[in-house]
Amino acid sequence: MSMHHAVPRIWKSAGLLVPGFLLFGVASASAQRLEKHFKVEASPVVTIHNPNGAITVKAWTKSEVLVIATLGSGHVELDAEQNGNRVDVMTRQITDSVAPDDLRADYQINVPQDSELQIHNDSGAVSVANVLGNMDVETIAADVDLQDAAGYLTIATVGGSFQCMRCAGHIEVNSISGSFRLMDTRSKHVRAQTSTGNILFSGDFLPNGEYRLKNYSGVIELRFLPGDSFDVSATSLKGKVNNQAKLTPPNHSYQSTSKYGQALVGSFNTAGHAHVDLTSFDGTINIVKRD
Amino acid sequence: MAAIDCKQFLNQLDAWMDGQRTADAQAHARDCNVCRSMADDLGSITTAARSLVTEALEPPAHVWTSLRAQLEREGLIREPLVRVNETPERAAAAGSWRRWFGAIPRPALAGAYLAALVAVGVVLSGPISKRVNDYRWIQGTQDSTSPLSAHLNSVEQTTMASFPSSNPAVTAVLHKNMAIVDNYITLCEKSVHDEPQNEVARDYLYEAYQQKADLLAQLNERGD
Repeated sequence: MSMHHAVPRIWKSAGLLVPGFLLFGVASASAQRLEKHFKVEASPVVTIHNPNGAITVKAWTKSEVLVIATLGSGHVELDAEQNGNRVDVMTRQITDSVAPDDLRADYQINVPQDSELQIHNDSGAVSVANVLGNMDVETIAADVDLQDAAGYLTIATVGGSFQCMRCAGHIEVNSISGSFRLMDTRSKHVRAQTSTGNILFSGDFLPNGEYRLKNYSGVIELRFLPGDSFDVSATSLKGKVNNQAKLTPPNHSYQSTSKYGQALVGSFNTAGHAHVDLTSFDGTINIVKRD
Repeated sequence: MAAIDCKQFLNQLDAWMDGQRTADAQAHARDCNVCRSMADDLGSITTAARSLVTEALEPPAHVWTSLRAQLEREGLIREPLVRVNETPERAAAAGSWRRWFGAIPRPALAGAYLAALVAVGVVLSGPISKRVNDYRWIQGTQDSTSPLSAHLNSVEQTTMASFPSSNPAVTAVLHKNMAIVDNYITLCEKSVHDEPQNEVARDYLYEAYQQKADLLAQLNERGD
């Protein structure tokens, strides 16, 4: 290849790149960062509706809600307002027929620790840390990640996964294809149900606690420590139940194993302290020792 | 530590439901979440039943089906299945349960009693009547799910057609998950057909329909 031909190609490339940089510049310029502050009293309610983007919520010690929004384009705007002790945050689409990326809005929100949260996010991700109030999170494809949460936690996803680290309170999580990881859980009430996702539970079995894990297919894994105490009932209609816990016969005469599929019922250590119910249609249930 | 065990609590359940709660029974209910849950559930059913009597309304068919499914889920109408080997104490307890359900209007209990009678029939009958009973189970399940299935499919068509597709990735996830639920329903129906009296399979089938209804409701809400 001669230089004679190479030079025009360089210019051609430059001719393509320069408008590209210009367009990038326009897009960047249209991305907008907004910051809003709201003074609140104890236990405020914060609602967030965002079709596409990341929502990160962290607790802080101030009696204030701080909303930092990064809007992906001029096609969306931030609608944040306060009504009494309630702060509503919403991403509003202001023009029709825009590309999905132009609808993106990312939020970093700081709230008082005792806030109640209501979050709706179609796609992207939801991350909440150290918020102790009740929480209601609904997503379609977005994954949900909670840390050190408490209160009444209600999570519903269509395809998004759910992870909960050191969560307490009352946990109810539902999904169709999302998988769940409940790690170092300190909750007395856990109900987790997914159709095709996996469920991993590794946490405390509190006295009189109730732990119900259910899926259609996939793996349900329950991890226990030698000192834990629970009554367990596990049934997989078409799949398998693998158990490493040394169980004694059930304490309750009306507890019985299903005559269909693989099933087991019994007590681990002092009976009756917690009740564990594991059910799968054709998935695998593993009851395994925690490392 | 409670002074009475679960069996003794069960024997006192009749009195418990009538409001006569001994200190021992209360202590046991505090310590044993299984017995407490059962007593709570029975209390809720009795309260609901009384309100139905008061209102003198005849609930639609799906309410009976839901009630039957709920009773089955709670293990309450499987009782006849174990009556062959039951002890006198359990028979007495079962008698009490039947008395509480006496408060439920007869139409509402028809499904539940039918289920119980079929279950008893299965235990006591031979292969020929088993086929008949299986047929009744299948027919009963189809009768209760077919209208629901048709309605949900109709709603699905209109909902998916009108759902705003501003985000193709989200729309793809919705379609994928709707297909998962539909497949789930198909497999559960097959399982119920193969083992009509399998309460776990029926439970999954009802839940699959519920999941589809929930998903469609969620889509409608977002589409508004």
